[in-house]
Amino acid sequence: MCPEATRSIATKTTQTNRVATPAISAASDALPAGAGQPAAIAVRHCSFGYRDDPPRPALAGVSFEVASGELVAVIGANGTGKSTLLKLIAGLLAPEEGDIAVGGREVRGPDLGVGFVFQEPRLLPWRSSLENVALPLELAGWSRNAREARARDLLRLVGAPDVERLRPHQLSGGTRQRTAIARALALEPAVLLLDEPFSALDALTRERFNVALQSIWRATGTTILLVTHSISEAIFLADRVVVLAGRPGRIVAQVPIRLGRPRTLVDLDASIVSDASAAIRAALEREDLA
Amino acid sequence: MTRRVLRDLLPVVAVATGFVVAWKLLVVIGGYPTFILPPPEVVASRLVAAWRDGTIEPHVATTLTEILLGFLIGSGLALVTGYALARSRLAERLLSPYLVAAQATPILALAPLIALWFGTGLASKVIICSLIVFFPIAVATMVGVRSVDRQLLEVGRVYRATPLQVLTRLEIPGALPLIFGGIRVGATLAVIGAIIGEWAGGESGLGVLINLARGSLFDTPLLFATLLTIAALGVALYWLILLVEHQLVGERG
Amino acid sequence: MGEIAVMPGRTRAALGPMRLRLALGAFVVVQLLVACGPAASGSPRLVASGSAAPPTPLTVGLGYIPSVQFAQFYLAQQAGYYRDGGLQVTFQNKIDPDLVTLVGQGTIDVGISDGTSVIPAVSQGIPVRYVATIYAQFPNVVYAKQASGIKTAGDLRGRKLGTPGKYGSSWIMLQALLSSAGLRPSDLDIELYPDFGQGAALAQGAVDAATGFINNEPVQLELSGTRSTVLRVDQAVPLPGNGLIAGTSAISSKATQLRAFIAATLRAMQEIEADPRKGLDAAIAAVPTLGQDRRTQLAILKATIGTWSSDYTAAHGAGAVDQAAWAKTVTFMASLSDSPISGTPPGVPQLIDTSLLPS
Repeated sequence: MCPEATRSIATKTTQTNRVATPAISAASDALPAGAGQPAAIAVRHCSFGYRDDPPRPALAGVSFEVASGELVAVIGANGTGKSTLLKLIAGLLAPEEGDIAVGGREVRGPDLGVGFVFQEPRLLPWRSSLENVALPLELAGWSRNAREARARDLLRLVGAPDVERLRPHQLSGGTRQRTAIARALALEPAVLLLDEPFSALDALTRERFNVALQSIWRATGTTILLVTHSISEAIFLADRVVVLAGRPGRIVAQVPIRLGRPRTLVDLDASIVSDASAAIRAALEREDLA
Repeated sequence: MTRRVLRDLLPVVAVATGFVVAWKLLVVIGGYPTFILPPPEVVASRLVAAWRDGTIEPHVATTLTEILLGFLIGSGLALVTGYALARSRLAERLLSPYLVAAQATPILALAPLIALWFGTGLASKVIICSLIVFFPIAVATMVGVRSVDRQLLEVGRVYRATPLQVLTRLEIPGALPLIFGGIRVGATLAVIGAIIGEWAGGESGLGVLINLARGSLFDTPLLFATLLTIAALGVALYWLILLVEHQLVGERG
Repeated sequence: MGEIAVMPGRTRAALGPMRLRLALGAFVVVQLLVACGPAASGSPRLVASGSAAPPTPLTVGLGYIPSVQFAQFYLAQQAGYYRDGGLQVTFQNKIDPDLVTLVGQGTIDVGISDGTSVIPAVSQGIPVRYVATIYAQFPNVVYAKQASGIKTAGDLRGRKLGTPGKYGSSWIMLQALLSSAGLRPSDLDIELYPDFGQGAALAQGAVDAATGFINNEPVQLELSGTRSTVLRVDQAVPLPGNGLIAGTSAISSKATQLRAFIAATLRAMQEIEADPRKGLDAAIAAVPTLGQDRRTQLAILKATIGTWSSDYTAAHGAGAVDQAAWAKTVTFMASLSDSPISGTPPGVPQLIDTSLLPS
């Protein structure tokens, strides 16, 4: 009678299952995911180049995995193929070599189980916040009432409950990005890809957003792969930091962040943070010298 | 609220008053007889009389029908063609020379031919209106669809939008501000198209009334009253489109 | 003026203002040339001592398309009758509605227009007068193929008749013709041809009868080998046909010149009546394309000449204006339900001025 409702319940069930898995185990050792369960994201020997003139190689032989419920940050300088990596995982680009699997299935194109938050909010300027958040649900055929209710919940979840009726140009940069995150979460994706989502925000707002993102992650149990420029952001959020370097980009280090959860901004002063930070910097600089 | 309305209306009223006063002064100072340039009050009373005695009304009905049908058909075809031009380089290469040639041919010269082929009834006027409306809307649609943000189209891909969903949820709303630019031009051209069509032969319509007033009644005030009616029709149509545009496009910052 | 003259007026209507400007421009140029001419060429007074003053420019408005119907004007120009009258005549081709207004405004000194247009124009305050009759018989007619069996106006009852629209001189003529047989337009099946296609419709048999011009459609029909019947309105209501009109200010300020113009034109008409080929040659000299089909043009000219004279002009002289006929026409037009006359119908003295005719 009401497919959306059935579907909603079904996804909720899977979500509960995911939350039940030990996703928030502090500072997991980050290498391959839990035995028996396929990795949420598995990238194997991936290479990709843009066919511009002259051709622009972007990634060379990249391999790594992200366990279900894990939060992994990808860090690297400009041009090391960070965004390309996310687009490959999202199925927006196809690798030239190697293969990619999400939830154990090979990626052959965009998958509704994968949410994507771009560097820019990319909201439709003619729609209100609520309608923007509801877009994926609308495209998936949800009824108006069901999708509006869900979009309202999501806006509350991302901390932007009062902007339902406002259009993007009436929102602050931060609220726009919150709305974009809410939209990415609309279909309860098992995997959420974030491409430098906070790079346009000022430092203070950014810190607040990192705290908010952490609680969203905890609330939804989604596997998150976050691309960032900022070492402190990577350390604050991630269970593990994948360091990309070179042109084309290669993985030069994977640094586990052994910090308890939930983390607070104060935790950023801990010695473990400076150690991790030093390790990441060393990896980046080694590559620069080479 | 009332003060704001007053403040918005005041300049409009001032300009209109200035226009009428200048017109009256021109008549008085130039000493023009009514059959050359009737004074505003004569035109106004002729306009009222012509509406009261039913002289104008049937002609307005005819012209309005021609405009609306021609506009709907012309803009409908233009939207489809404009989209095809935007999405297919082949379509653009094949069609655009003909479109430009058709646009460059004066409709004034085509109108008698169209009347010859399709008769002097409604059909020929609707065709002329459609033709004149077509080009600006087709071009605006093409440019509009091409200008839709590629980043938004990528969002559509992420959420696996079907081609129809891309069209209805992303391309059309995204192109709408530019399309409406073309529609505004098209609507005013539709009025001109109807009048030209009527001049190429017609039994009724405001264009016919112009010819009657000028050619067999020698009634210059009626000619002016008809021109005013045509202008009012154009303005009303334009406002209507602005209203629809405001509803559909709204503020986008 | 005829059908040919009226038809293109529809399509070119929008060009009116531009043509007006062109005409004004041409007029100014002519005046400048006239003003500068004598000074530039030295001392004409010495050369032409004793002769008349330099010719007065006179702008004459004819129908829209130059045609054999204006042969008398071309002949008078080419034969020098206008020059002999002290005139320097320039022809302007204007469609009828613009022409009446331009004559009233004074841009054109004298023009040719039908009487049924002068009446509504004067009723609207346009200061023009009808000063000389050219078409002593009303040129608008109803015609039919002889095979249709239509012989009188009464035979039109219940038949299909084609006409461009319910306005203008053809419409007035049709109502006058029908009223003479006790009929009204509603007694006929009237088909409107706003594209002036009623002639073609009659030729193809789509209508039984059509309105037209005595010197156009029936002539063409006969030339194509079909016998035609023509119903004329003159016996019923003697409507005033095309004649010369002038503005009231021109009548007072240029009376001598207008009188000379009328006299020269009437003289050319008499010569053409006597020898139509003379008129045809003059028309071809003025409008060379007319020479492509002399047979048709001669037929049109002969039909045109046929309308120049009536019993009234025979009795009162060429160009004479039948005041009684005008009075009847005003009464008739005022009685029509869709009368084009605005307000109180004008009296005959407001419509005509016979002071410029040759005595």
